[in-house]
Amino acid sequence: MALQIIESCVNCYACEPLCPSKAIYMSEKTGHFRINPKKCTECEGDFKDTQCASICPIEGAILDALGVPINPPGSLTGIPPERMAEAMAELQAH
Amino acid sequence: MELPVINETPAASAGGCSSHSCGTSDDQLGHLSDEIRSKVENHPCYSEDAHHYFARMHVAVAPACNIQCHYCNRKYDCSNESRPGVVSELLTPDQAVKKTMAVAANIPQMTVLGIAGPGDPLANPERTFETFRRLSAEAPDIKLCVSTNGLALPESVEELSKHNIDHVTITINCVDPEIGAQIYPWIFWENKRIKGVKGAKILIEQQQKGLEMLAAKGILVKVNSVMIPGVNDKHLAEVSKIVKAKGAFLHNVMPLIAEAEHGTFYGVMGQRGPTQDELMELQDSCSGDMNMMRHCRQCRADAVGLLGEDRGDEFTMDKIESMEIDYQSAMEKRKVIHEAIAEEMHSKRAAKVEKAASHAEEPKLNTRPVLMAIATSGQGVINMHFGHAKEFLIYEASPNGVRFMSHRKTDLYCGGDDTCGDGESVLQQTIRSLAGCEAVLCSKIGYEPWDLLEKAGIVPNGEHAMEPIEEAVMAVYKEMAAAGKLDEATTEERATA
Repeated sequence: MALQIIESCVNCYACEPLCPSKAIYMSEKTGHFRINPKKCTECEGDFKDTQCASICPIEGAILDALGVPINPPGSLTGIPPERMAEAMAELQAH
Repeated sequence: MELPVINETPAASAGGCSSHSCGTSDDQLGHLSDEIRSKVENHPCYSEDAHHYFARMHVAVAPACNIQCHYCNRKYDCSNESRPGVVSELLTPDQAVKKTMAVAANIPQMTVLGIAGPGDPLANPERTFETFRRLSAEAPDIKLCVSTNGLALPESVEELSKHNIDHVTITINCVDPEIGAQIYPWIFWENKRIKGVKGAKILIEQQQKGLEMLAAKGILVKVNSVMIPGVNDKHLAEVSKIVKAKGAFLHNVMPLIAEAEHGTFYGVMGQRGPTQDELMELQDSCSGDMNMMRHCRQCRADAVGLLGEDRGDEFTMDKIESMEIDYQSAMEKRKVIHEAIAEEMHSKRAAKVEKAASHAEEPKLNTRPVLMAIATSGQGVINMHFGHAKEFLIYEASPNGVRFMSHRKTDLYCGGDDTCGDGESVLQQTIRSLAGCEAVLCSKIGYEPWDLLEKAGIVPNGEHAMEPIEEAVMAVYKEMAAAGKLDEATTEERATA
């Protein structure tokens, strides 16, 4: 079982020092942080909450073992996803 | 150690000319003790006077953050944009030290190095303190400062006090957790993400505790607050009182910057920022209690240069790598230049006091106050062409003297090309940004803007080029008074004058 950081990561470094298993590394290949699935324990035995997903500011950037975003759209910013879509559509129209 | 004097001026009635920055005889720091004054008089962010002469820089070594603010979006990085939290190039401590020394050697009036993000410096303690440690050893003539949201402040005070850091800025937007929950959706605390009122309460407690601990150590604290209409605007006067009582020496109320294209909560949800008038009114109402800062430019976390200018492009890492810096000789040069600037500032200050004394002897005018816009590139004089000004300084002239009020950007946070805008010409936008001003003083001005300014009811004036700002503003004010343009002082204003 392991979490995954995907390409929407903005490289803010917040998660890296928190990982109890030192599973987070900067990937030269993708240019953003990734999780080594062999090392990730999902913080089992160390913390109640997964640490990387508890500090990550980017919705959707960290997936659970099933590939589901731990912080889905709207959950961190408080912006309802439909409002965000509307605002982005308005900006595109200009 | 207890901070000796925070504010000796008696609490004046709210509004109007109630602050110590009022009058030509005094500057914004006039009421501070000599000890604090000597610490801040060459710090552009803390001294309104100094910001005309001295430059600052930020190094972006601190990417991680431990809270979320509704005015911030961690995804955004546009090189055309200038606001806090935005950077183009993240630096390692080693790169930051190189960059700082390169800038110090090339811009000798740079006196201050700040770490301000793009995240929270104290949420990146290793990178932040490594940078400070090396700079205090290798470039001891540079003042170091740090700004923080305060969450990790209490645990960092001891370390901060070790590194030549005598200035800390804490952003405090509220002291009420219910209001806090409308500004901070979550914090990361003791290995958990904590949302809502509970998170805001912890953040506020940490901020207040950190402020008290810094004051007890004699470290100067400035408090920044973002004014968010309908959220904390009514609350900030109370914040100002409380932080002053706990030992902050300066309060900087800044306007919310919120645009949908920034992707922030406030931007997307249509939260508006305050108008110029609302901001000035709040700053005035706080100034009875607190020394207020009005010259903040809300700069990027990697800004370089005088406040209001950004020379970051001259010091990108690829350019710095090829520079050979002999810091020892640079430091000697810097010392000479700093002493010359200090001398110039002192003689200008003395001249100001003299002017004010002669002004006080003249019969007092009974005229209404007037706002004027100034084009300057520093040194406290009018020395910029109207068309080159990226910002104007706004001064108020009244029978009581001249005081600095605010600055106005002409390009409204964006330096992008015409395709970014809504088709309004740069000139039209500039003139709109000067609404409320009755005169604009610059070194030179072209025919087209002259015409448009007059049509907008703003008198262009290029007659005071290279003169000190306050003197020129007072001279123009007296001319306006003599011409009978200022006679409509209302009875109400007369009664309170």
